[in-house]
Amino acid sequence: MNSGLIAIAAAIVLALTAMATAIAQGMTASRAMDAIARQPEAAGNIRGALVISLALMEALTIYGMLVAFMLVGKI
Amino acid sequence: MGESNVLFSIGPLQVTSTVTSMWAMILILALVSFLATRRLKEVPGPIQNLAEMAVEKLQSFFADSLGQKHMRRYFPIFATFFIFIIVCNYSGLVPGMGHVKGMAQPTANLSVTAGLGVCAFFTTHILGVRERGLKHYAAGFAKPFYLCFLMLPLNLIEQFVRPMSLALRLYGNMYGEESVTENLYEIFPIGMPLIMNVLSLLFCLLQAVVFTMLLSIYVSEAVEEE
Repeated sequence: MNSGLIAIAAAIVLALTAMATAIAQGMTASRAMDAIARQPEAAGNIRGALVISLALMEALTIYGMLVAFMLVGKI
Repeated sequence: MGESNVLFSIGPLQVTSTVTSMWAMILILALVSFLATRRLKEVPGPIQNLAEMAVEKLQSFFADSLGQKHMRRYFPIFATFFIFIIVCNYSGLVPGMGHVKGMAQPTANLSVTAGLGVCAFFTTHILGVRERGLKHYAAGFAKPFYLCFLMLPLNLIEQFVRPMSLALRLYGNMYGEESVTENLYEIFPIGMPLIMNVLSLLFCLLQAVVFTMLLSIYVSEAVEEE
């Protein structure tokens, strides 16, 4: 029962963080594309800011993945 | 996590594969720097050209985000972090990394990235104190005076969480790449790990950029005059 619960916990952690970051990064990317469409000559600046924002949001998913790895190691 | 990965010991210090890989990075970077600056010419040769291009690109990148004055003062330390992290990240793609004794990707190890986080922590605070003086810098943590009982704990916690997040972000990305490559190898040994290696080309660069950019933003916050 213990190792079953740990496995379910690891799966839920990863699923929730992946869902949240997918929604957040999708919203960011869509606003960035609107901004590029509105002002194509600023595309370089917008692309730089977009990539860094995506990496910052990705970090939260990576924290979740680390927790999942630690949990799976304890099964 | 059972067997030890210590190769040999120098006195009380134990040398692991990570340490020998970092020695190899140091040798490579020192060799490239020596060859690039040996006989500086007006019309540069290939290695000098590469080094000049790298320095110019890094300078324009930091000048865009920080402004010319801050960039001039603090460029060496940011460039050091960036070059070290990017060389360590890309070393994970060399054939043999991870399963040959003596070769291990340095940044896929929490000790190395935590060490980089500690360096980043001391960098921001020492540069802030040097620029603004100890009293003025410490008073900056309790800024709106009527809210200081709220802002002071939050600011202090934030100062400790920032280097931890830098270290965990870099470690998580690099260790995740290694782990996914291993699992892809177990699915089908030929061709499948290539998928993750191709993604690694992008993510290694991205993580180095994000680490250095966040460090530069923290330093510019610490040294700015009100």
